[in-house]
Amino acid sequence: MREAWSPFSFIVTNLARFVRPHEVTFSGVNSTLPMLACLLAKRAYDFEFTYINVAGGVDPQPSSIPISSSDPVLAEGSRSIFSNEDFYDLCTRGEMDLCFLGAAQVDGLGQTNVSSIGDWHNPKVRLPGGGGGAVMLPTARRAVTWRTEHSRRTMVEKLDFLTAAGGMAGVVTPIAVFIKRDGRLALQSWHPESSLDEVRARTAFTFDAEGAAPAEPPTQREREALRSLDPTGTFERDAGVRLRPEAAA
Amino acid sequence: MSTSKIIPLGELTSLVASGSSLALGGSFLHRGPFAFVRELIRQGKRDLEIIKQSPGYDIDILCRAGCVRRTRAGIVAMEGNFGLAPYYRKAVEKKEIELEEHACASLTAGLRASAFGVPFQPCGGLHGSALPELNGWQKVDDPYGTGEAVYVIPKITPDFAVIHANEVSPEGDVRVFGTSHWDRIMSRSAKRVLVIAERVASSESFARQPELTLIPHFLVDAVAIVPNGAWPGSCWPHYEVDYPAVEAYLPEGADVLAAHLAAAPEAQEAAHA
Repeated sequence: MREAWSPFSFIVTNLARFVRPHEVTFSGVNSTLPMLACLLAKRAYDFEFTYINVAGGVDPQPSSIPISSSDPVLAEGSRSIFSNEDFYDLCTRGEMDLCFLGAAQVDGLGQTNVSSIGDWHNPKVRLPGGGGGAVMLPTARRAVTWRTEHSRRTMVEKLDFLTAAGGMAGVVTPIAVFIKRDGRLALQSWHPESSLDEVRARTAFTFDAEGAAPAEPPTQREREALRSLDPTGTFERDAGVRLRPEAAA
Repeated sequence: MSTSKIIPLGELTSLVASGSSLALGGSFLHRGPFAFVRELIRQGKRDLEIIKQSPGYDIDILCRAGCVRRTRAGIVAMEGNFGLAPYYRKAVEKKEIELEEHACASLTAGLRASAFGVPFQPCGGLHGSALPELNGWQKVDDPYGTGEAVYVIPKITPDFAVIHANEVSPEGDVRVFGTSHWDRIMSRSAKRVLVIAERVASSESFARQPELTLIPHFLVDAVAIVPNGAWPGSCWPHYEVDYPAVEAYLPEGADVLAAHLAAAPEAQEAAHA
């Protein structure tokens, strides 16, 4: 019997699949799932790449996997400290190959809102704010984001506030993987237990789905790598990612 | 002949008047000057302006205690599994504080302008974002004719940069282990620099490896020694985040805040002194 693919594993594994050989890849603050994805890529893939992170680590060998994706343990084993100013400057001068950036809302162009739900001046919810996105999304070679909730309020036709333009090269949710094609997000694959119809129903923006198919299940090495990073399932429990929202009571 | 700059935390904090602008070092729950932040609350400071690329616990507890008038910040969160900073969020939503929302790098650009002694500083990226219009940031064409346009961020000069460090010399030289986050540029952009450190190291040890010194003594006004002062955050390699303490801080209630302040290392130290 095939092992079920948890939506948590779906997100981490598909984020890791954006990592490419010989590139510089960055994970930042508030980014537990991309942190796990970068560490998974190091363990599951045979190619070399440079992993830098917001704790200043450069290809670190952390002795434990931290709850906080900016924890100093992520610089353990690093032979240099590449600090905040360094990686921002690397990005703005066009040398950051891949960076993972958070988002509350994503639109069909792959632009993001991390500032406010509702009007910026009268917010319903004040969100964390600009952070890396406004500067890194338009200057990184590729940026990828993730959402643990795939719904019409997160995958929107119009952002409540345009924090960061430039367009994501990839978006991963519990049910779908989008990539950028002709300047817009296009569906690349969906969770094998989901469907194109479901992705369309839960996405407020229109998208091209040509060539899209169920995602390739995780390889044994991807599964083993994630299990080694989260042996007790703590990260998976804390993330609380579900394929679908609970049915209304 | 040099004089020690080491003074008690209370005395160091009293150098800061209500209404001051403070750049706080560290990032989220890591190596922030949190003992100092709590002392601001105990001393009843008001109308502070908090400047930090990635504040979290610090801005949250200051908002909770009603000490903040304004903040300039890039990304604000408790991080880990805690998500948004609840008291900061409430303060912005209720318009109790004024927010100047930055990208982390635009805030750094403003600090760089101050450090470089120029009125503004170009900042890469930002194109297409609504933040420049929100903040009135100007875009200028490259005067050297490449045809490239760049946003320029006005100078940000904090009254104080306040840094939590691993080690200091008695004269005020500062050493930080692990990443220095934005502490270096903060120390060069502010009018005055205050340092809270885990411990004193000999001046000779600084002289042996001067390249490890992040901030030289002549830039530093005063130093307080507070072991575990970055609690409930981490200070690498001495201690990790105290997650149960952060969790215990979060519930509403004046008694919760009072208990949290009383449980802090600098309060315990004072009680035993």
